[in-house]
Amino acid sequence: MDLGLQIDRETQRVRFPPVMVEAALKQAPAHFTLCARNPKLDLPLDGRHGYLSLDGSAPNVLDLDSGEARPSGKADLAAAVRLADAMPQIAFLWPTLSAGDCPAHVQPLHELEVLLTQSSKHVQAMTAVDPLNARGTLEMAAAVVGGREALRRRPIISNFQCSVSPLAYDEGALEAALIFAEAGIPTGFVVMTIGCGTAPATLAGNAAQANAEVLAGLTLLQLFYPGTPTFYGFCPTMLELRRGGVTCGGPEDFWLQAAGCQMARFYGIPASIGTFATGAKSSDWQAGVDNGISGAVSQFCGADMMSGAGLLNGARLFSFEQLLLDCEIYDILRTLNTEVVMDAESLALDVIDAVGPQGHFLAAKHTRRHMRAVWQPALMDRTPWDEWVKLGRPGALDRAKEQVRQLLATHQPDPLQAERLQEIVAAYERM
Amino acid sequence: MSQQLFEAMTQSVIEGEVEEAERLAQLVLAEGIDPLEAINRGFIVGLDQVGEQFGCGNLFLPDMVQAAEAMKTAVAILEPEIARRGVTRQILGKIVIGTVEGDIHDIGKTLVATMLAASGFEVHDLGVNVPIAKLIQKAVEVEADIIAVSALLTTTMVKQKALIGELEARDLHSRLKVMIGGAPVTPAWAESIGADGYSEDAISAVALAKRLVGA
Repeated sequence: MDLGLQIDRETQRVRFPPVMVEAALKQAPAHFTLCARNPKLDLPLDGRHGYLSLDGSAPNVLDLDSGEARPSGKADLAAAVRLADAMPQIAFLWPTLSAGDCPAHVQPLHELEVLLTQSSKHVQAMTAVDPLNARGTLEMAAAVVGGREALRRRPIISNFQCSVSPLAYDEGALEAALIFAEAGIPTGFVVMTIGCGTAPATLAGNAAQANAEVLAGLTLLQLFYPGTPTFYGFCPTMLELRRGGVTCGGPEDFWLQAAGCQMARFYGIPASIGTFATGAKSSDWQAGVDNGISGAVSQFCGADMMSGAGLLNGARLFSFEQLLLDCEIYDILRTLNTEVVMDAESLALDVIDAVGPQGHFLAAKHTRRHMRAVWQPALMDRTPWDEWVKLGRPGALDRAKEQVRQLLATHQPDPLQAERLQEIVAAYERM
Repeated sequence: MSQQLFEAMTQSVIEGEVEEAERLAQLVLAEGIDPLEAINRGFIVGLDQVGEQFGCGNLFLPDMVQAAEAMKTAVAILEPEIARRGVTRQILGKIVIGTVEGDIHDIGKTLVATMLAASGFEVHDLGVNVPIAKLIQKAVEVEADIIAVSALLTTTMVKQKALIGELEARDLHSRLKVMIGGAPVTPAWAESIGADGYSEDAISAVALAKRLVGA
């Protein structure tokens, strides 16, 4: 099949003619809905929401009891997903930490079993990056909704594949993307370029290369399965110049988030933007600064999906407490990003006139009508000083820990029978 | 004349000028200068200085990588002449390195390979997606001291364990040390699979390799 691509097999380069890329971008829908097991939790990607997901996929968990980092297992993921199910700020799910105690070749399916049973929110199966796990993922999701056609009508899962920067995609990953697209599953492409390492040192060069890598994936997808819902995933960062890690935070990362949002808007495709995921090792000042700014940039630049909450140490460590702290940041930003009504009732000129000079608004009916709309913190401390001292000087992290314990002890997700899913996982495990 | 030439060699490494290092190495051959002396009094001096400045935080990793590239280019040109003269350049040890099968992540592994080579190891970089059998075959062939394996995914990390299992089964682990790395790798994982060492980044990898060969 000659698709009109310029292919150099010797250097393994594929060049997409500009007209082909532009045609592909026109095929991709501007709006679609990420469906959920519970239809009330469906997420219309209409350009007016900035949905927060769990982040992924950390190999380590900050143990709730010991406070120490340790390798994560399936049970840890179950707890994390159940907690995310309880948090209204989390709109959809990534396997936020690895089920490292499961057989590696089907680990993504064990993770999916947890995601589907511990929450009824939309699942972005981002660890299904090879054909075997792509097929298993489809089979499991179909089993939940009652078959392949039902899944095509209401895809309760989505998927994306990552480029291998610079300028490459893994063969298995692309095959997985095509398997998902064939089944009508929203399939995006996410790039994670590292300036100075896997991309140019300059912001412009980094963004240009990252953009080309996303477009390569999108174009290929639309060539094979025109009209497949897809999204523009942007998660670039910079090399940490002294030790060779990634910065995960800092002005360059924030600028690149904004660039991704704007390019996705320009192309008319939903934007999935790498957000939060501080490089800080603990839920401290650095984490607050990183995630506060990062969240604000994504939210105000119009990211449709923000991924995501809960990780420390450059996305390598999951913390239950950090998940709640990130949710609070997000809650502030969503509230801030809500349109402020300007009408007679909200301007309240008559109320101001009636209260008059040196009066107060505590007794005004207008106050009681509107005060419930004033944002209330779940974690931020606003207690008076003396009381705070008496309570043992608690911080947001202490309150987060308390709420995590309480939610994990009480929250029950919409039940789903796990047996059929476990059978499918077991069958794939034998392959 | 020679002293000036040595200084130019030093400078070519400090500035990471690969073409200049190459030109100077060719000049060494053309003028019949002792190639070992050219390395020890010229190129390596530059690398040491870069290493020192890097250690103080005055230089960044790309400075170090480009210095190492210049050094590597010069050494590659001079090596046949060194061999022809029947002398040997002192190396700290031999290392076979690669990213495990099923994983095509390159940059971390390449950075480690470059830093190891710059620090005086003979490094055989087999690239990415390398089967265990190929790593072992190469290590046996070059009589390596260490196999270094990288994995970026939690699902490919298991190949690090499989490598050690295979070395044990073939009774090779006693003379071949294994060091592992990659974003998901932790000291606990290294210990649980019986790896001889783990490092979090390229700088620590050099210290680890030196420790493993007793240098």
